Amino acid sequence: MADRRRINGPAGATLPPVYLNEDAQPSDDSKISRTRAANAIRKLYLKTGVTPSASGSAYLEIEAPGGGAVSGLKLSCTVHGPRSLPRSTPFSPHIILSTHVKYAPFATKQRHGYLRDPMERDLGTHLEAALRGAIIADRWPKSGVDVIISIIEGDQDRQTSKSQELGSWETMNALAGCITVASAALADAGIDCVDTIAGGVAALVKDAGDNNSPRIVIDPIPLEHEKILSACCVAYLPTRDEVTNLWFKGDLPASDMELYTQLVETGIQAAKSANLVLVECLHETMG
Amino acid sequence: MASTQTLLSPAELAYLHSSLSLTPPIRPDGRSSTQFRPLVAETGILPGTNGSARICFADGTEAIVGVKAEVERTKSALTTTEDETVHRLEGEFVEGLAGAGGNSAGNIDEEDNDGLEGQNEWVELSVEIPGYRDDDSGTVFLSALLTEALLADGNLTKKLRINTRFHWKLYLDILLISPPLSYPLPLLSLTTHLALLSTRLPRLKSEGDEDPFFDDDWAAAPYLYPRENGTSGKATLRPPISLLVMAVGNNIIFDPAKEELAVADVALAVSIGDGKDNNSNAMDTDTRNLRLLSVRTIDPPSRLTPPGVPNATNTAYGAAAGTTAQKQPEARAAESEAVEGVWKPPRGGAKPLVMAALVQKVLEKGGVTDEVLDALDAVELE
Amino acid sequence: MPITIIAPKPARHHFHDSHQTAGSDDESDTSSQQGASLDQEGDIQMLISQSSRPKHSHSQSSQNYNIVTPGEVITSDPQWMRGHGTYMTPQTHNIISSVAGTISRTNKLLSVRPLRARYTPEVGDLVVGRIVEVQAKRWRVDVGGTQLAGLPLSAINLPGGILRKRTETDELQIRTFFAEGDLLVAEVQSLFGDGGASLHTRSLKYGKLRNGVFVAVSGMGGGGGVVRSRRQVWTMEGANNGGLIDIVLGVNGYVWISKHVETAAVVEDNKDNNNKPSVGITNMEEVVSATMYSSQNDKIEVDTMREIARLRGVITALVENGLRVDEDMVVKGYHEAVEMALASEGGPDDVYLGGERGEQLANALTGV
Repeated sequence: MADRRRINGPAGATLPPVYLNEDAQPSDDSKISRTRAANAIRKLYLKTGVTPSASGSAYLEIEAPGGGAVSGLKLSCTVHGPRSLPRSTPFSPHIILSTHVKYAPFATKQRHGYLRDPMERDLGTHLEAALRGAIIADRWPKSGVDVIISIIEGDQDRQTSKSQELGSWETMNALAGCITVASAALADAGIDCVDTIAGGVAALVKDAGDNNSPRIVIDPIPLEHEKILSACCVAYLPTRDEVTNLWFKGDLPASDMELYTQLVETGIQAAKSANLVLVECLHETMG
Repeated sequence: MASTQTLLSPAELAYLHSSLSLTPPIRPDGRSSTQFRPLVAETGILPGTNGSARICFADGTEAIVGVKAEVERTKSALTTTEDETVHRLEGEFVEGLAGAGGNSAGNIDEEDNDGLEGQNEWVELSVEIPGYRDDDSGTVFLSALLTEALLADGNLTKKLRINTRFHWKLYLDILLISPPLSYPLPLLSLTTHLALLSTRLPRLKSEGDEDPFFDDDWAAAPYLYPRENGTSGKATLRPPISLLVMAVGNNIIFDPAKEELAVADVALAVSIGDGKDNNSNAMDTDTRNLRLLSVRTIDPPSRLTPPGVPNATNTAYGAAAGTTAQKQPEARAAESEAVEGVWKPPRGGAKPLVMAALVQKVLEKGGVTDEVLDALDAVELE
Repeated sequence: MPITIIAPKPARHHFHDSHQTAGSDDESDTSSQQGASLDQEGDIQMLISQSSRPKHSHSQSSQNYNIVTPGEVITSDPQWMRGHGTYMTPQTHNIISSVAGTISRTNKLLSVRPLRARYTPEVGDLVVGRIVEVQAKRWRVDVGGTQLAGLPLSAINLPGGILRKRTETDELQIRTFFAEGDLLVAEVQSLFGDGGASLHTRSLKYGKLRNGVFVAVSGMGGGGGVVRSRRQVWTMEGANNGGLIDIVLGVNGYVWISKHVETAAVVEDNKDNNNKPSVGITNMEEVVSATMYSSQNDKIEVDTMREIARLRGVITALVENGLRVDEDMVVKGYHEAVEMALASEGGPDDVYLGGERGEQLANALTGV
């Protein structure tokens, strides 16, 4: 017997008609093209000490390019600790670092649930590897620190629905931002680090239209390019000239080692640029 | 934690580090720096799957991979047919809404590319490691790494397309039989490689865009990665492999065991594909066309190891017990300088040049990767 | 060749092969075929007559009668007392096995030793253990048993030479003696009712382990492993200028292979002790105990490291091929391995003993 207390929907599902929008001709969708120089990162804004209740915190915003077709990246990072570990945990001669990266449910076009999905956990692992090299862990025995990053706006194109392919490249941009903002927040919390650490992304892209050969750009935005062939995200300690985390993916011929090295070098350049902002920001806070 | 934590004493770590930094390095199990642990491999062990493989090490670590394929309707918001299931429609409904806000250009694009591209969600890979939750960050990291390598060049998903309306959905289930005694990446990757090589999909009998209809004869089923001449011979295109490689001092060491990884300065997982270049001659099978698909830093457990105490600052050393106070300044000094024979966990990262050298070593022509692929070629396929 | 991939072997038919001469004395059989980790005192030879065995057991069981399985009635004779690995049902006098293993008899006590089990400590055992937890007045040590063993602060030699009473300072500095992860060699002092053990290191032979590598051979299966024998610790001369090498075979299956250190030489080498008076008989103990809690390795020559790796390979190969690990086998295996390396294309420096080489080694040993 049907439920008579409620007004039920029709038994079968229906599909609302989707009309082709006259305005949205493919011409409108033509990619916005990159206006920055190939070796310039987007402008970024960084501020520490935004969350008073946390031991350390930072906020990072990267400008949205190209007239709102793509949203920018907005990250908020809080650091809780160093604090003593719960009694049940075994003795540790080091500080125990845990990292959480979470997309806000509204950060991207596709809603994210409240539970961390595998992609977010993966980002967390990358971030942990990047930060662990930077902090001087044995200065804080028997203590723990939590680094929590919420991605408030996820640097994703708003217009096309072809998000599946593109999304995977955007996580690299997000990771680079996470690394930079976490470094600022760690410094704000007063946790000993060997150096500031900044993230940078470089990609080998193929541009639309002309028969350009692939070129390497810094801080790539997938929408700006016809195709991204490969990309790498580097976590870099500038004064020590060391890399703590490297994430490369794509498809490169193995014979062309030069191209790979160049790509990583460019990633380091991007990290250096981000580091300038990071150091400047820390100076400002202190001054 | 990306790699399993191992409890080793500072004295052990110091010993391992110094023996691995020698030229040539002396590994605790006597292998040369590029030598892998011997393994036993077989394929086609699970009759209920489309392809399967098993690899085990001498220490009893064992991995099983099963590949299953199912026919699935390809998601496309604009092509709706009447025999859609309710479930399908729900999926479409969401998709429709999403598309309605902007425009449907993306879908149109996709149709242009028909027969070329596959979609990444057609491949689902799961890793199960006993003793770890399946949402444990280490497990997630491993499966993300393996998935990344499989999808990087788009060769695999391309093969899964049946026609514009249907595709194969490939489920790869990677199972480790016992808790790992070392970082299981190479084991899982090699097993997956073999399983995919042995995977066969039923032969398609229908044509064009009609509902797919398959040949019942399993013997006639073609391999997912086709062979040179029908059923025997080498595969022309191969699934990727991921190798674990680490650096200690000036040495580059392949397939590190647990104790070796515990003293690594840096560890990388490098995924390599063996695919034909679109531009080059596809029939040229004599030389491999290795492609770099992915590189990831593995967080080496060395940073979490307990530091050793030099005798100079050890209060329990000699008859110095009780003179703790005056020893403290020396302890500060000892923090910065390394004392011979005392373990000190590494700090900071690795020089970019070292990382590049690691990748270079993996990609070397006629090097380790080539030999590993040769050895995998020699494994008999059921 | 960086990688060897071996095709799987067909399953071995153990009993048909090895018990051709079944029914007769199987003492030698066991030791050569199965590694004889099982017996020291010697398995009892069919002490209970065949007729008392359950009739329904397989025809084969008459051939390998020394193995009992859980639930199998060992005897119904009331003169026997039940020991470990057995149980009795009320009303009857049947002693029934509760584990799969071999029957052993001590006077009137019947017990069954499991074929493969975790280490069960016995008083006086020399064990190698790893600290897993530091508590206020004791350490918890992993010795590969069912329970963690305990090492009380009062059961170690405190630094400072003379045997002194422990103080509160010692309690506060407990981690400077042994910390998590540290390896030590100790002796089982007493047992608790729950199977746990209490250890002590109150001897100059015992203490923290340095200058070498660790290998655990328990839990590998196949019937091999460390057996209790007269000597668990010995020093041997390494081939190819390897120098002297110490081997500690913990009864629990944990093995430590290290460079042999002359205690007096250490003191001379040590810069810190330059201002100290030379070592005499009287302060020998003081000096020796000085290095007891050090975690700093001495300088080890490349040749020594290589021979240590070779010995580790020998022990792993023995275990992987189901052979017993004791002084005799290790020494024999080591010499065999040195010979094999000389003959191989890698030359004497080649210490690899995995895979086929390990099998070759095992065959050479069992063939003798």
